[in-house]
Amino acid sequence: MGVTCVTQVPVLEGKSVQQTVELLSKKLELLGAEKHGAFGVDCETYHTAAAISSQGQTGKLMYVMHNSEYPLSCFALFENGPCLIADANFDTLMVKLKGFFQNAKANKIESRGTRYQYCDFLVKVGTVTMGPSARGISVEVEYCPCVIANDCWNLLMEFMQSFMGSHTPGIPSVFGTKHDSIYSPADTMVQYMELFNKIRKQQQVPVAGIR
Amino acid sequence: MAGVPAVRISIESACEKQVQEVGLDGSETYLQPLSMSQNLARLAQRIDFSQGSGSEEDEPGSAGRAWAEPSEAEDEEGLVKFQPSLWPWDSVRNNLRSALTEMCVLYDVLSIVKDKKFMTLDPVVQDPPPPKQDPQFLQLISKKKSLAGAAQILLKGAERLSKSVAENQENKRQRDFNSELLRLRQHWKLRKVGDKILGDLSYRSAGSLFLHHGTFEVIKNTDIDLDKKIPEDYCPLDVQIPSDLEGSAYIKVSIQKQAPDIGDLGTVNLFKRPMPKSKPGTPHWQTKLETAQNVLLCKEIFAQLSREAVQIKSQIPHIVVKNQIISQPFPGLQLSISLCHSSNDKKSQKSASEKQNPEGHLYVLEHNLHQLIRECHKQTLSSVVMPHPASAPFGHKRMRLAGPQAFDKNEISSLQTNEGLLEKIIKQAKHIFLRRRTARTIDSLASRIEDPQIQAHWSNINDVYESSVKVLITSQGYEQICKSIQLQLNIGVEQIRVVHRDGRVITLSHQEQELQDFLLSQMSQHQVHAVQQLAKVMGWHVLSFSNHVGLGPVESIGNASAITVASPNGDYAISVRNGPESGSKVMVQFPRSQCKDLPKGDVLQDNKWNHLRGPFKEVQWNKMEGRNFVYKMELLMAALTPC
Repeated sequence: MGVTCVTQVPVLEGKSVQQTVELLSKKLELLGAEKHGAFGVDCETYHTAAAISSQGQTGKLMYVMHNSEYPLSCFALFENGPCLIADANFDTLMVKLKGFFQNAKANKIESRGTRYQYCDFLVKVGTVTMGPSARGISVEVEYCPCVIANDCWNLLMEFMQSFMGSHTPGIPSVFGTKHDSIYSPADTMVQYMELFNKIRKQQQVPVAGIR
Repeated sequence: MAGVPAVRISIESACEKQVQEVGLDGSETYLQPLSMSQNLARLAQRIDFSQGSGSEEDEPGSAGRAWAEPSEAEDEEGLVKFQPSLWPWDSVRNNLRSALTEMCVLYDVLSIVKDKKFMTLDPVVQDPPPPKQDPQFLQLISKKKSLAGAAQILLKGAERLSKSVAENQENKRQRDFNSELLRLRQHWKLRKVGDKILGDLSYRSAGSLFLHHGTFEVIKNTDIDLDKKIPEDYCPLDVQIPSDLEGSAYIKVSIQKQAPDIGDLGTVNLFKRPMPKSKPGTPHWQTKLETAQNVLLCKEIFAQLSREAVQIKSQIPHIVVKNQIISQPFPGLQLSISLCHSSNDKKSQKSASEKQNPEGHLYVLEHNLHQLIRECHKQTLSSVVMPHPASAPFGHKRMRLAGPQAFDKNEISSLQTNEGLLEKIIKQAKHIFLRRRTARTIDSLASRIEDPQIQAHWSNINDVYESSVKVLITSQGYEQICKSIQLQLNIGVEQIRVVHRDGRVITLSHQEQELQDFLLSQMSQHQVHAVQQLAKVMGWHVLSFSNHVGLGPVESIGNASAITVASPNGDYAISVRNGPESGSKVMVQFPRSQCKDLPKGDVLQDNKWNHLRGPFKEVQWNKMEGRNFVYKMELLMAALTPC
């Protein structure tokens, strides 16, 4: 487990999502990265039901996420809130809690793609899909040997520049709060959640515009 | 009388009790009346038995006298007692008397009849006999009829009796079958399918994933001939075992030195060990089922092993031929695991007697294989069987934490060590072989080399993959002072780790030669160490000491070691060089003053130079007296030490 940075790569002008992903993969392979299986991150949204929200709280959203990198775990996050790491059985628990949390099935969003290994770096290029349609591209870069985010951020950034060029992101907000403490898998999931939320909002605006 | 006034008469009953005495005041003391038995005893005392008896049969005359006497006695007694009827022998006497009378009469009559003068005896006239012919015939018919009726009744009774006996037996057998079935159910899983009773032989309920159905059928074995004698081992319940599980089977594991011809593979071990002489008749269902289950388990082990042998990639691929798996744990060495299944038919029995291989079984490994497969079963079982914690799969503690602590793929895979059966057994075989070879090496060295001595202390309790032996190198008679070399050999799977007494760790490979060379060099060092220890005891001074001498001829094994010691007064010095190959070389340095043949140099004119040491001379070591090196050295030192 190392330090991870998750970012979105915009779809190139005049290209489809698929083509952009292929371009990125080709760049990585030219760099010398090796394919190392596939990965998948998915996220389901739960509304807090009326029973809870009636007590003066605003209806918070809860996200339940899975990551193929942590096959036995299930992550439950609130926006800006705590992150719970649980067994994979957590899903069945959520079914039991139907009365309090309602699954917004239409909001299910996931990112799937190929996993690349390049020396100590792990790169995952995924297509973000919501329902049947591809909505964007996610890139996750992990530097495995290190667990302190600030110690390796520069190295990470430099590496990302090598294949993402101008789309290299700034320092993720999660890193800012971490300072010198140990990076955990939950931080990766928070980044994914933020990315998914961003993509959802991006998509909603143009859709609304067309209508 | 009438004029007389009435006189009151008081009547009181006569006192039944006798008065013993009358007191002065008029009170009477009574005697207690006699009880019946006391009374009888008293009366019996009064009879004179010798008088009356015996005389009665003699003759009438004496008899007459006999009965006259008691009457007199009676008269006397009657006077005294007034209660003759109470005499208990009265009726006896009367009867005897009347009998005597009759006898006398009969005697008289007979005596008269004998003379035939006054009396004759005539036969009494009988009734005429009944008419003969017809009644006899009728009687015969009626007798016959009644006999026939009686016979019929008897026959019917007999028939009913035999029927009930047969029924009883049948019932008994049925009951036996049921009780046997009950006993069967206590040990085996049974279920009823249609009109058959099927049982389960397989280890599936114990966690086996082997595909063989392992079903047996329970048969009612009651249609036995009633007339014949029932054999002793008769059992009303029998089991039908699937044909491929019949006979007996076992897994054979052996290690052979060189690979046999590929042509022999698979057939060599096909038939082993003649079937143990089975008793005539059918074995009991329990033994039958147990052997069948054993066959099934052996088949499962072999199937698992051969599957792994094909899947696992090793440097030298494992060979699976027919019923044999061959693997090469070490070069030039072959581990063969074979499934020996001998069925009951005569063909295999014949060939079994022909092919008897004396090659050793590795029973330990065979046993371990069984244990390993059971462990596998247990593992699969524990993950399936209820009850479970609802939140997580039941298993290793770290596995349970894997979810909540978000272990990634690498960490999870490191938790799951799924080493196969074959890998484990090969590792064990390697270890066993390495252990044996080490023991042999040490033993052969110990028997070949007498000085110094090697002692090996094997630990009794081993791990399947590791065992240890402590090796001591000593000199006979000097065990107390020469304790320098103590080696701990940890024998692993691929290599031997030697831990020296001073903490050095040397890793040797599985090659036999390495260990041998190492031990040889240690032995040679031991001699020099021993000299050092001896010098301390003898009061000699160690001038120089080296385990690894860089000078002199090069040894092919290890290095030579050397020591120089000086006598207490410094006159003499002994220098020893000992190499594993070249052996020992002992030199003695004499004081210059003792050397006559030393050329007088021009430079060393002064007398003081005589105190310098002179040249070395070699000792002809093999001509020295003494049973071993250290003893010889002790003698030499003693000889050079001035008194």
